Amino acid sequence: MLVAWRYRERKSLVQWFDPRAWFIFYGCFLVSTLLFWDIRYLSVFALVALIVLLTSGVEWQEMRRPMLFIISFILFFALLTFLTGRGGIEVYRQEHLITRLILPFSLFGWQPTINITWERTFFALSQLLRVFSLAGMTIVIPYTINPAHYGITFRGLGLPDKFAYAIDLTMRFIPTFGRDFQLTLDAQKARGYELEKLRGGLIAQVRKMAPLIVPVTIHAIIASEDIIDAMDLRAFGIGPRSWLDTLEYHRRDYILIGFSILLLIISLALSFFSYGKFWVPPVFLS
Amino acid sequence: MDNIAVWVKDVTFRYRERSTPAIQGISFSVKPGELMLIAGASGCGKTTLIRCINGLIPRSYKGELQGEISIEGNSIHNLPLARISQLVGTVLQDPERQILGTRVRNEVAFGLENLGLDRSEITLRIDQALDYIGIQNLRDRETFNLSGGEKQKVALAGVLAMQPKILLLDEPLASLDPVSAQDTLRIVRQMVDEGMCVLMVEHRVEDVLNIRPDQVLLIENGMVHYQGAVEGLYKVVNYHEIKLPAQEVLKRAIQDPPPQDLKVLPSVERQSEETGQPALVQFEDVYFGYETTPAVLQDIQFEIHRGDVIAILGANGAGKTTLVKHAIGLLKPLQGRVLIDGVDTHKLSVAEVAKTLGYVFQSPSHMLFASTVYDELAFGPTNLGHPAAQIEKEVLEAIEIVNLSGKEKEAPLSLSFGQQKRVSIAAVLAMRSRILVMDEPTAGQDYQNYMDFMDAIVQLPNFEAILFITHDIDLAVIYANRVVLMNNGRIVADGKPDQVLNDFNQLRSWNVVPTSLLRLNLDMLPISKRFLRAEALAHLQVS
Repeated sequence: MLVAWRYRERKSLVQWFDPRAWFIFYGCFLVSTLLFWDIRYLSVFALVALIVLLTSGVEWQEMRRPMLFIISFILFFALLTFLTGRGGIEVYRQEHLITRLILPFSLFGWQPTINITWERTFFALSQLLRVFSLAGMTIVIPYTINPAHYGITFRGLGLPDKFAYAIDLTMRFIPTFGRDFQLTLDAQKARGYELEKLRGGLIAQVRKMAPLIVPVTIHAIIASEDIIDAMDLRAFGIGPRSWLDTLEYHRRDYILIGFSILLLIISLALSFFSYGKFWVPPVFLS
Repeated sequence: MDNIAVWVKDVTFRYRERSTPAIQGISFSVKPGELMLIAGASGCGKTTLIRCINGLIPRSYKGELQGEISIEGNSIHNLPLARISQLVGTVLQDPERQILGTRVRNEVAFGLENLGLDRSEITLRIDQALDYIGIQNLRDRETFNLSGGEKQKVALAGVLAMQPKILLLDEPLASLDPVSAQDTLRIVRQMVDEGMCVLMVEHRVEDVLNIRPDQVLLIENGMVHYQGAVEGLYKVVNYHEIKLPAQEVLKRAIQDPPPQDLKVLPSVERQSEETGQPALVQFEDVYFGYETTPAVLQDIQFEIHRGDVIAILGANGAGKTTLVKHAIGLLKPLQGRVLIDGVDTHKLSVAEVAKTLGYVFQSPSHMLFASTVYDELAFGPTNLGHPAAQIEKEVLEAIEIVNLSGKEKEAPLSLSFGQQKRVSIAAVLAMRSRILVMDEPTAGQDYQNYMDFMDAIVQLPNFEAILFITHDIDLAVIYANRVVLMNNGRIVADGKPDQVLNDFNQLRSWNVVPTSLLRLNLDMLPISKRFLRAEALAHLQVS
């Protein structure tokens, strides 16, 4: 099975809260994190994300693959900015050299040198913490939020019926889409098609994916006509709809929402007064 | 007018993008507590008629609509869609695509939520609908993981929860195995007996006749060809186009010239196990399963020999498709081994297996992608590394065999469904595979269409053996020289059709439902010596 729901009931901090409250917290957390570059502030956010991850009840085995992917992605980009010094230019102007690496070879007479500076080091570390906070908070969502509750959650957050149900519908048809993809892959393999043998540049590779992409897309388009008919026939969109499932706020949810809003206001205020900008411990700069 | 549920008078409809009407001058009326069967070949206008009655025409499908339709005495033009949706329930052909909820209870609630009903009322109606269909046990299941038959029932429950007076069923049996189909028909009959008006579109006329429809409407090219009681249908219908009970065909076929004798796999001498020649494909003690579920396949000992035309029968979930996927190397056994020409599939890639076994998937739309028929057919041989000159020869030959010459430059996706199916078979022919494997070759097609191409395929000179999965026992009766029966992941019977298919009680215990053609064949076996189609039996009786 290509697509399987990762969600199940767990003993988990996330599931202790109402999904609406959690999404509000998630949104405020996201915006707040993005306001800062100061490694001291970011450490706090990263710590919160780490706690959420550790208390999520998701076992390492379950999220190993996406986690490893994200970790290598973060490390790669942090290393890239660290080595090239690009990306940080927006947040610092001056650099203080720690050491200069002169690579022991030359390309066409050009001697590659890498300046290792305090600014680059701290920028890379800040970036690492920022992306970790965002990724850590995001990755637990599919494991901990019941797919059957997305629609009512977003409806509860004030989105219109049609939009909220569209999210429910997406959840419903992701496994169907995955199964169609698997069927097509099997059918083409039986005709001697080997995905592993894709070669050539990006465009050439995409072209060679056509035997997979075309049937899956066509299928999705044909299916959508039936889906729309099925919805029309059962009176979708004729007026405000009632939702069978209900979500209930508890005291803890109000507390979480209050905390989230407070967090956002404080972050905005700090940021407005120029707190939390890029920071390198002054001792290194003297 | 008082006691009429659906009243249709002189209805003609033309889709905006077409130049000719899809249906023309159709009139009928159906009372509460009546079942009307709507039959006709693919593309005859059955679905268009259904859309006219449930209001999708003209609301979602634009075009020119003439004539009058009224539902429970109200003209449909004056009814808002919300009202129509409560009076007329529609179950579409493919349950997979009309189930909108992630869980069964959400799915059944969908229409009621849209009507804005109270939560307590919705809960009550969900329970009523589930109880009525007898699927209360599915209430909290995820809809995606249900079997085809269960999905059909859930879709039906979702429609019944809205408490319609009229039920429209568009080919409800198309994707079901015989046991689930019988179940669905039983529920439909019960609803009719309790006063529901049901209009059922169905290819499988023979099955529906078992629940005694009050009226039959036969549509041909968008016009009414026959309308009235079942008995009259037998007189007007062409038994090549619509499948009738075997006894009826027997009576009618005597007057026609006898059918040609089928020359199955003409270029192959049937090889038996005794000759000692190695089997083309050999399963040795194969076991397969997924971690959490019980075994999908176990103790499988199975060989494919030259000259075999094998029908694999069994209920949904019996392991038929898993067995076939092992033969073509898409799955590898967890225990035991599968040998193809003596080589273990663990050592072969799917592409290497494809040189020997060509697999035609159930739905052509899962594999067609190229911009021309020619490119589509060249895809397989190119992947297998055939030289260019040879590919051209293979492709042109394959096109000729499936009777699509002249369509080389056309886009496969623009062809009709039947033609697409033929392209998908030609795509396998062009690979010069020696064994043809087909999964449900006749699903979703009308009777004449599939009988014609089955006739053509089994008589092709290219193949050394053919194997097909089917729910249709009659296909096994007519075309197979060997029947393999599966139940719960095991092969429970394997042999000549008249040996495997003669004990009805045993068949039923394996969830296989005997047909009228099978009965007739068993009755006539002393004279015929082998299974034949009803047309051939008719002439046997005379001579």
